[in-house]
Amino acid sequence: MQTIGILLPRSTYYQSIGFDLYEGLRSGIKQTGREDIKIVTENIGFGADKQQCYRSTERLLLEENASIIIAYIGHRTAELLKPLFLATNKILIVLDAGANMPTEWPTCPNIFYHSLHNTLGAWLTAKKAINDGYTNGGMVTGYYDAGYLHTYSISKSFENAGGKICFNHATGYKESDFTMKPLKEHLKKHSNSALLSLFSGDFVQWYFNEIKEEFYEKNIPIYLTPFSFEETMLENAVYPSNAISGIASWSKKIETNQNRLFIESIEATGKTPNLFSLLGWESAIITLKVLDSAAENKNKIAQIATELHSFEFEGPRGKISFDAKTNNSISPLYEASIIENKGMCEVKIGPEIKNIKKEFEEMCQLPLENNISAWYNSYTCI
Amino acid sequence: MEEKKKILVLCGGKFAFQSLQLLAYEKNLCGVGIGKGSEMIIDALERESEDNGIAFKSFPNKKSISEMREWIDTVQPDYIFSISFPFLIPSEVLNYGQEKFINFHPGPLPQYRGVMPIFEVLKNQETETAISAHFMNSKFDEGNIIFNDPITIDDGETYGKLAIKLSNRMAQVALNVVNMVQFGSKIPNFPQDESKAYYYEKPQLMDTYINWKRMDSDEIISLINACNPWNSGADTTFMGEQAKIIVATIFDKPHNNTPTGTVTEIINESKIAVACSDNKQIAIEILSTEEGIMTIKQLNQQKNLIGQIFN
Repeated sequence: MQTIGILLPRSTYYQSIGFDLYEGLRSGIKQTGREDIKIVTENIGFGADKQQCYRSTERLLLEENASIIIAYIGHRTAELLKPLFLATNKILIVLDAGANMPTEWPTCPNIFYHSLHNTLGAWLTAKKAINDGYTNGGMVTGYYDAGYLHTYSISKSFENAGGKICFNHATGYKESDFTMKPLKEHLKKHSNSALLSLFSGDFVQWYFNEIKEEFYEKNIPIYLTPFSFEETMLENAVYPSNAISGIASWSKKIETNQNRLFIESIEATGKTPNLFSLLGWESAIITLKVLDSAAENKNKIAQIATELHSFEFEGPRGKISFDAKTNNSISPLYEASIIENKGMCEVKIGPEIKNIKKEFEEMCQLPLENNISAWYNSYTCI
Repeated sequence: MEEKKKILVLCGGKFAFQSLQLLAYEKNLCGVGIGKGSEMIIDALERESEDNGIAFKSFPNKKSISEMREWIDTVQPDYIFSISFPFLIPSEVLNYGQEKFINFHPGPLPQYRGVMPIFEVLKNQETETAISAHFMNSKFDEGNIIFNDPITIDDGETYGKLAIKLSNRMAQVALNVVNMVQFGSKIPNFPQDESKAYYYEKPQLMDTYINWKRMDSDEIISLINACNPWNSGADTTFMGEQAKIIVATIFDKPHNNTPTGTVTEIINESKIAVACSDNKQIAIEILSTEEGIMTIKQLNQQKNLIGQIFN
């Protein structure tokens, strides 16, 4: 029997995040038919308490003798935990929201990032806005979401493609402080601007409420990143406008056998599939690959890492491979738009983005110019 | 919240500055000891330490190490980190506490023990090096390893560039170990594999000298990069005089059995192509001669270089 440890976060707006990650992992392992795997969990709160994260990991590694650890954490926390993995010769699979730049921290053969690619989605949604004919743009985000480097990606991508960021609006993180009123003034000065928007969780619902209230039937062009296309949140978001599009990581509407299997497996447990159960499900495939590789290569981390670099698999969102330079998984992203369903929002999934690896590498070449994220917590865990 | 662990850092100078800054910023730094070091660096460190309420002591020579234990007893650190400290710490100092002394070695252990692992990894054409954190014992670089933090060596990286990269990275590695001792209930560690261990002595002239007959073009370029800037280049003889090659790259053109070390052509007036033992050539850009540091362009104006010999 081998033990997989998983560090589970909590979130006030994705209240089931820990259960979703766990259920995705459990169901993912179950569907492979493996019965020799035990999963042990540890709660790491919002992922911001260094002591809690470190001690939880230490307990899984040293007391539970976990063969591998999976954790929904950011790069900073991964760096904090790195010495433990180097010292114990184990692999950490970071389930990464992808809200920061993959190049923000150096790589290490013991740590692999399996990402939802919000920053790459931001990179692509800005390009999409340019391709749609917008050369003026404004970045619209909130105090919380603004703390991650997807902001840098979206604005640099827009500028590099020939656009001009004419204004930035970062609103408050409490509902009472959350406002889109300043956009009226900005859009008066810079008409025909694309709103390059970065929101997650219930901030998306608040954003759409405000857009509907302030710009009713104006159909201002709004561009979204993958976390804004999270379907369980969108079900409860009012439909604000006819011009909302962007880039999505995944949708229940992706028509593949792998996606159907994933959706049916999660629904059979009485849960609704979402981005987090998706990450958990896919991490099961990566984890089993690592365990097999570790057995074959006598736990030699460099060889396991080399094997992962050439590993590819078909997941619910399509073919996933790894980038050897950053140890990040590269997964398909999709053009998407928001359509109306009884006054609320629904995702319409479009074509898969072409040359995703090239786009990823191009984004990774963006010089960071001393820009770093100061947020320690796992993205969406507040 | 537990009290922050107090760290005393023993260092050899500039290489540790980033680490000192970060540990001071994180409020973990309680003392700084410097071994040898230039007057300017000692003065700067002493002033900074005084201004920030951090204990400071200089250890100018081996004899002064006898004062170390008393100083450490006064400062009472939780852990002592050594970052390129030039002297061996004797047992009576290490007895301050078991597993209290951690060395940060700028090379992978146990393969690259010794004083200049940065030179050795470059000379040996490694594509990766490491910062090794290990507990200290009374021998150089031999205590139990906590971890080797791997670092990629980029193509054409010189000693100077790699040293800066390691110095920057060292700060984060040191902070990572602070977090380990702060939050961990025990620090995992393992003995060094003696069958893989090698101790490199400080490089001598024979280590920095280009052997044109035996070394191939890649080996020569690696040695040149490994010697820049600390040795002002790789040692050679040119036109009968001692010289050092400071900057050179591979020149991808066969020389068809020209004697090794011969200058075969001038490239764009700024480089000379020199035949190597593997039928490849290197393109030399900057040399240090007895007349001073010169570009090939300058040298070419003074002398006819084609057909001249490096040996």
